[in-house]
Amino acid sequence: MTLSSKNPPASSALAGSAQTRRTSPFLRQVARIVDWPMAALQRLIGERRMPYVFLLPNLFFFGLFVFVPIAINFWYSVTGGPALFPSERPYVGSGQYSYLFECGSYADPSSCREDHFWRGVYNTVTFSFFQVVAMVGLSLLTAVVLNMKIKGRGFFRAVYFFPVLLSPVVVALIWKWILQRDGILNAWITAMGGDRVLFLTEPTWAMFWAIFVSVWSHMGFYTLILLAGLQAIPSDIYEAAEMDATPRWRVFWRLTLPLLWPNLVVVIVLALIRAVQTFDEVFVLTGGGPGTSTLMVVQYIYETAFSNQVQNFGLAAAASVVLGIVLFALTLAQLAYTQRKSS
Amino acid sequence: MADLELSGIVKSYGAATILHGVDLAIEDGEFVVFVGPSGCGKSTLLRVIAGLEQVSGGEIRIDGQTVTNVPASDRGLAMVFQSYALYPHMSVYKNMAFALENMGLAREEVDQRVRRAAEMLRLTEYLDRKPKALSGGQRQRVAIGRAIVRDPKIFLFDEPLSNLDAELRVATRKELAALHAEIGGTMIYVTHDQVEAMTLADRIVVLRAGRIEQIGTPLDVYNHPANLFVAGFIGSPRMNLLPSRVTAPNQVTIGNETRPVSVPSTGSAPVGSDITLGARPEHIDVVPEAEADVVIALDLVEQLGGETYLYGSAPGLPQITVRQDGQAGHERGQRLGLRLKREALHLFDADGHAIRIR
Repeated sequence: MTLSSKNPPASSALAGSAQTRRTSPFLRQVARIVDWPMAALQRLIGERRMPYVFLLPNLFFFGLFVFVPIAINFWYSVTGGPALFPSERPYVGSGQYSYLFECGSYADPSSCREDHFWRGVYNTVTFSFFQVVAMVGLSLLTAVVLNMKIKGRGFFRAVYFFPVLLSPVVVALIWKWILQRDGILNAWITAMGGDRVLFLTEPTWAMFWAIFVSVWSHMGFYTLILLAGLQAIPSDIYEAAEMDATPRWRVFWRLTLPLLWPNLVVVIVLALIRAVQTFDEVFVLTGGGPGTSTLMVVQYIYETAFSNQVQNFGLAAAASVVLGIVLFALTLAQLAYTQRKSS
Repeated sequence: MADLELSGIVKSYGAATILHGVDLAIEDGEFVVFVGPSGCGKSTLLRVIAGLEQVSGGEIRIDGQTVTNVPASDRGLAMVFQSYALYPHMSVYKNMAFALENMGLAREEVDQRVRRAAEMLRLTEYLDRKPKALSGGQRQRVAIGRAIVRDPKIFLFDEPLSNLDAELRVATRKELAALHAEIGGTMIYVTHDQVEAMTLADRIVVLRAGRIEQIGTPLDVYNHPANLFVAGFIGSPRMNLLPSRVTAPNQVTIGNETRPVSVPSTGSAPVGSDITLGARPEHIDVVPEAEADVVIALDLVEQLGGETYLYGSAPGLPQITVRQDGQAGHERGQRLGLRLKREALHLFDADGHAIRIR
C-alpha cells in the first residue's frame, strides 16, 4: 500500500526484493488489489491523513465497546428507578453517590447506609494489601530462584507459569474441591487424626484462602516480568560486585533490588489494579461469604445490578464509577512512573 | 602488590578446552599484557586469575599462597571490565566507595581514599554524577578508580579501552602508563590491540588457541618472534612472510623468483627445504630492479604524510607491504624492485619455528 506518492506502490517496490520473491503469487495478487484503492484514497485525502484511515476501524470498535458503555454507565449512575432503557430513567443527579457515601463513620461499614458497599471496600482493601504483598514477595523470591543456575530451570519456569493459563473459574473450582468441608485437604487432615477445618466457611480462613488462590493462580505472570528484569541486569555487574567482595545479602539489597525496581513498580501497580478488580475467583470459591467476609467491590456491583431481587442499576453504576476512578488513578500512576523512567 | 604464578592452568567447557596448560610467572610490580586474536583464551585466563572462572586443572599462586579454589572475593584482586561494569544506580562516589564499605572501613577512611583516587583520575567534579551522565572515558576512569581505592594485590584489566574512540584510547593509554608509574602495582592487562601491548607492557604474553606462543619484552617479541604466528601478529602493518626455498647454505630463493638471496644463516634447514622469510615493512628498501631480491607491481599506495605504505604483488607471493619515510612518489601499477635488509631478516622453518640467524 502506498503512503507516499513519490514512492512506487509497496507491492511493486518490494517485487524485486528477496522478501517478495518468497511471497506467494496469491498474496502478491491480493496486495495489488488492495493497492489501487489505497493509492486513490491517499491522492484524495493526502498523505498526512492516511494513518487515521488505518486507525479508524479499530477506533470505531474500541469506542463502541469501551467508550460508549462508559458513557452509558455514567448516565445510569446519575439516574434512578428500575427501568432498563436509559431514556426511561429519571435523572437524580448525585443522589446515587450521596447514598453510597452516606456513613456515620467511614471506619465502620455497619454505620453506612449502603453497608454492603463499604464492607466490599474494606474487604477489597484488605484483600488487595495482603494479596499484593504476598504476590510481589513470592514472585520476587521465585524469580530470583529461577534465575539461578539450578537443574530443571526450564521445567520449573513452565510449572510456575502454568496456572496463569487456566481460567480463574477453573482455578477456583479446583481449590474449592480441595478446601471445602469434605474436600481433599480435610480428608487428609482427618486421615492424619486431626479435626476438620472450615477453610471456606470461617471468615479469617476464607479471606486467607481467597488471597492464597489468587496469588497461586497469577504469580507466574509476575514472576515472568521479574525474571525478565533480573535477566536484563548485566552479569558483569555481579562479577564486579564479586571482585568488590560484596556479601550476598548486600548484592541483593544494594544491586539487584534497586536495578529491578522499575520492574517491581510495574508488578506492584499491575497486581494492585488486578486485585482491586478481583471477582471471579473469590466469587466461585467463597461466594463472598461466609456472610460478607469475602465480598469484594466488584461482586457488590454485580449483585446490586443483576442478582439482587431489586435490581438497582443506578447504585451499581455509581459504585462502578467510583471503582473506575480508583483504577484510573492507579493506571495514571503507573504510566507516569513508566514514562518518567523511560525519559 | 604481589607476584603471581600460574602452573599448568587448564580450562575446559565440556569437551572444549580453552586453556591448555598455561605456565606463567609474573613479578611483583610488573605490567604484563596478554595479547592475542579473538578466542585465544586471554580473557578466560584473566578471569581464571580473578577467580570468576574455576580452573579445570593447574594451580594459581599469589605471593606464594595457593588461591586456586579461593573465591574471587577473597583473592584481593581488582578488575576493570571491558564494559566498565559500573553500578548504574550509584553515583561515582558510591561506585568507588562500595568495595570499601564491604571491607568495613570507617567512613572517614572511605572518604579519604575515594577523594584521593578521584583527584588522581581527575574525577573530583563528577563524584555526584551517575555513570550515565559521564562520557566513555570518564566511565573508564571511574572503573579504574574503583580498582585503585581498594589497593589490591593485583590489578586486572580486561580490554579496558576497547569501547573508547581512537583519540580517547590513546589518551587513556597514556594515563594508564602514568598510573602504573605512579602507583606501581602488579598489573595484568588483556588486549587484542598490539599497540596497547607494545606501549604499556613490561612483558608481553602472546597467546593463541589457549597456549602461550611467546613471552618477552615488547621489543624482544617484536625483534625476535618465536614463530610465524607471533611474527605475523606483532607489528602493524604485519610482517611480510614470504614462502622461500633453501637453495644452498645461507642462500634462498623467494616465491617464483629465481635470483638467489643470501641470508646470514639458514640454520639447520637443509638445502631444498621450504622455509618462510620474514621482513617487516620498514626493513625493505626500494632499489633498482637489477639489485632487487623481489620485483613487485604496486597495487596500492597509502600516503600518510609522514610515511608512505606501498602494497604490491609478485607471482607466487602474498601481498608485500613496504614502509617508506616521508612522501614517496610512487603510483599504482608501477614496477618496483625491493631489497630486504639482511640484518633484519627473520627465517622460519617448515614447522613455523624461528631459525636463529643472529
